[in-house]
Amino acid sequence: MDRFMTLLMGFLSVVLVNNFVFTKFLGTCPYLGVSGRIDRALGMGLAVTFVTALSGTLTWMVDAWVLTPLHLEITRYICYIVIIAGAVQLVEMYVRRFFPSLYEAFGIFLPLISTNCVILGICLFLDVWGTDNLLEAVVVSTGTGIGFTVAICIMAAIREELALADVPEALQGAPITLITAGLLTLAFMGFAGMIK
Amino acid sequence: MMASQLSSSSMLHQLWSTAWPAGVTMLGLALAFAIVLLIASRRLRVEVDPRVEQIAGLLPHAGCGACGFAGCDQYAQAVLMDAQLIGRCAPGGPDVAGRIAGMLNLQIDRSGPPVRPIVLCRAHLADRTHYAAYRGIPGCMAANALANAQACKFGCLGFGDCVRACKFNAVRVVDGLATVNYRKCTGCGACSKACPRNLIVRVPFGHDPMMTVACSSRENGKTTRAMCQVGCIGCGLCARQSDTFKVEDNLARLDYAKYAPSGQHEAACNKCPTAAIVYRGQSAPAPRPPNAK
Repeated sequence: MDRFMTLLMGFLSVVLVNNFVFTKFLGTCPYLGVSGRIDRALGMGLAVTFVTALSGTLTWMVDAWVLTPLHLEITRYICYIVIIAGAVQLVEMYVRRFFPSLYEAFGIFLPLISTNCVILGICLFLDVWGTDNLLEAVVVSTGTGIGFTVAICIMAAIREELALADVPEALQGAPITLITAGLLTLAFMGFAGMIK
Repeated sequence: MMASQLSSSSMLHQLWSTAWPAGVTMLGLALAFAIVLLIASRRLRVEVDPRVEQIAGLLPHAGCGACGFAGCDQYAQAVLMDAQLIGRCAPGGPDVAGRIAGMLNLQIDRSGPPVRPIVLCRAHLADRTHYAAYRGIPGCMAANALANAQACKFGCLGFGDCVRACKFNAVRVVDGLATVNYRKCTGCGACSKACPRNLIVRVPFGHDPMMTVACSSRENGKTTRAMCQVGCIGCGLCARQSDTFKVEDNLARLDYAKYAPSGQHEAACNKCPTAAIVYRGQSAPAPRPPNAK
């Protein structure tokens, strides 16, 4: 029971309280770039979730079972990047095969998941937070992806409504999007400090 | 001496003992991923119609967007689905259209003149009136928003929005006037979309040089004369020479489809009191100065 609570708290922490987009400002490139429509945003969120879950887990495994025993922490970045790039390739092939319209809609942003800071971020933060078992690593890295999905979907929903709003001419496009992002971050600041 | 040698060799030893497990780990990781991705690429292969790639290979890949699609690859896909879209590729012209048609086992009608842009203004800096010097943002879009950037509200502003729009380096601003180099122009129409005053029209270029009334001023003759030395004043002298000219809203227009070199057109060009009727094209002669008032 105690273990389950730890996992639940870790999950809620990365989804709401320590959401990577809102508190660490990582992954803002697709967050602003693919949040024009909610269906694409959801697709992007799910793709990122898959990659974070896969690469977070794999990097934890490689780190805990190979790099740390061999005292090769110094090669962490290179190993992580190889793993992330491989995972993204996998996602790209999968999306292209089964969701061609989504593949068209993502365009350059799909291969760019490999440079998404959320993903390298979670791989490195797992170490910083001292995650010490595999289950925790899986839950936290999946939660990070879900947190990103939540963020990008909220943003997309607001932007779809904004498309109908009467925005002053000087603020149309990027400025109003950035203001929205700022306000959204402020709202999520309300969770700050609740967990961890 | 001994000590430093010893320490450097031990450092080398340390480096080596760290380096080989790192190398083996990296190679192992890379190998594992290579195998996984190889299997995945076999399992998740997407069959692309080879004809799409063939058509894409024929296209010039200028990325101008004249066809109305996001890029050459999207256009290739669309052409395969709907053969009526053949010939939308302006940079490729009839040549590419013919080759795509040949590939799809179709025949196309190759008649019809190419479409080329004409700038409907011929006023260089010295010909125009300026009330004051414009020192705002150097772009036509910005200058056009200001009512008095120059006296004529219809003429070329000369800040080169069309120059920046052209992917083929075919437009230059010469002495304050956008000038098309018809040797480089492919007729994609990017410049005519970029012009905030809609000065650049795309016309069927049946003959080279093509005649045109190079003015867009709809002001009455007196006002036009006050603003510009080479503007059309709507006097109608050209329309009396040839019925391919029509005067509407104080502005003469030539029906480009009906134009063919003739004595009547030559006379209309020579009679124009402000010399607003000029030739445009690869072999266009230099425009003559306006008649003395």
